[in-house]
Amino acid sequence: MRWFRFAIFVSLVAVLQASLLLDIIALPPLSSKPNLLLILLVFFAIHSNTSNAIITSFAIGFAADISIGSTMGSQTISFGLFGTALAYLHRVIAIRKVHYQAFAIFITAFMTGTLAHFLAILRGQTTVPNIYSDILGKALYSAVVGPIFFLLASWLMRIKNHRFGRH
Amino acid sequence: MARKLFRSHSPKRDNTSLGAISRPMLFTWFMLTGLILLFAPQNLTNDLQFTFARIFRWPLTIGKNFSLYARTRQPASDATFDRKSQYENHITNLQEQLRLKQEEIIELSRLRVRHPALEKAGFIMADVIRYSINETRSELTINRGQNDGLVKGLFVLGDNSIIGKISEVSPRTARLKLFTDPASRIAVRIGNLNIDRLMQGGGKDEAKIRLLPTKYKVRVGDKVLAGKKPGFLDASMIIGVVARCERDDRNPSMWDITVKPVCDIERLNSITVIIMNPQN
Repeated sequence: MRWFRFAIFVSLVAVLQASLLLDIIALPPLSSKPNLLLILLVFFAIHSNTSNAIITSFAIGFAADISIGSTMGSQTISFGLFGTALAYLHRVIAIRKVHYQAFAIFITAFMTGTLAHFLAILRGQTTVPNIYSDILGKALYSAVVGPIFFLLASWLMRIKNHRFGRH
Repeated sequence: MARKLFRSHSPKRDNTSLGAISRPMLFTWFMLTGLILLFAPQNLTNDLQFTFARIFRWPLTIGKNFSLYARTRQPASDATFDRKSQYENHITNLQEQLRLKQEEIIELSRLRVRHPALEKAGFIMADVIRYSINETRSELTINRGQNDGLVKGLFVLGDNSIIGKISEVSPRTARLKLFTDPASRIAVRIGNLNIDRLMQGGGKDEAKIRLLPTKYKVRVGDKVLAGKKPGFLDASMIIGVVARCERDDRNPSMWDITVKPVCDIERLNSITVIIMNPQN
């Protein structure tokens, strides 16, 4: 694992996610935007070994917490939990085909969004209305954009898509 | 068998370990970190988010400009429209400020009519920006301070009655200690009795007057007036009303009088500070 490259890449994606640049491609009616950090989470969960997947999941979750401005810790926990689960699942079921990857992104986005929402409630934070529609919209959009973003991530991290199997 | 086969086909580089730390241990440590972040005080964790925003301010701003450009879809050189919009906003703000000042003048004129004794006094209206009212503390923070001529000890009016005194002053804000605050002591007179006594705050929206002999007749509903204090209050003004009057348990020859405010302090949005000797 190229950790320095990983740190730079995650920082760049976190800034991109936090900036309003993604609003250009936001879709109505809820201005749904793809969650690029979540796509990265799935990418590293299925393209690195389990130990590295655990570290990357929590690191990306932390980046999501400080960049998106949500309840601190909620994304770290939800990303870490589901990233680790996905990494272990990948040891049993290989997620290689594009539509499998899209489905994995969709499910992970929905689960992390829901858990982060409950953790925010637990912390006493008020949440936005239509939260589940928002989570669903983001999950769908991320699932569509994800496999394309995987190509960019593979190129930047110098990871060949078919190099890794089940670990 | 399948597991053996699976392990034999796993790439070598994936068997890397992180020293003596096992995966469950790694997961547990990270999870604990996440929980600490979740339950840490928000002012500490907010600093992390603010630091991120401060470090990446420049790229985040670029994104904002692009986004606004894409959303508005306006011609690039629409400076005239921007300037016009700025002037219109400025005029709207000025009109609103003028309206508020006119309301303030009307209210202050009414105060002078209601309290002729305070004819030479200056009044400063202020908005309440924070309420700290509980059993141990009864204070309000207002949006006027030293820059507006406020000093410690000035009396404050709320709904035409004295509600407390200025206790702390900063250049732009001031803290007002209500007469119900346990640390507050104000000289008062009850109804028509020509005798001054010290009223001490009792918390819980009430104050106490003690050391008044039972030979004086005090009834529930009697008005309580804040005593004159040269330089701060040149005329007695109503501060509360007697809510309860019982013999003192420790000294039955004295009254234990409970006084309640005559206005709902927690609903006050604005108050008036009395300056008896205004400089201007």
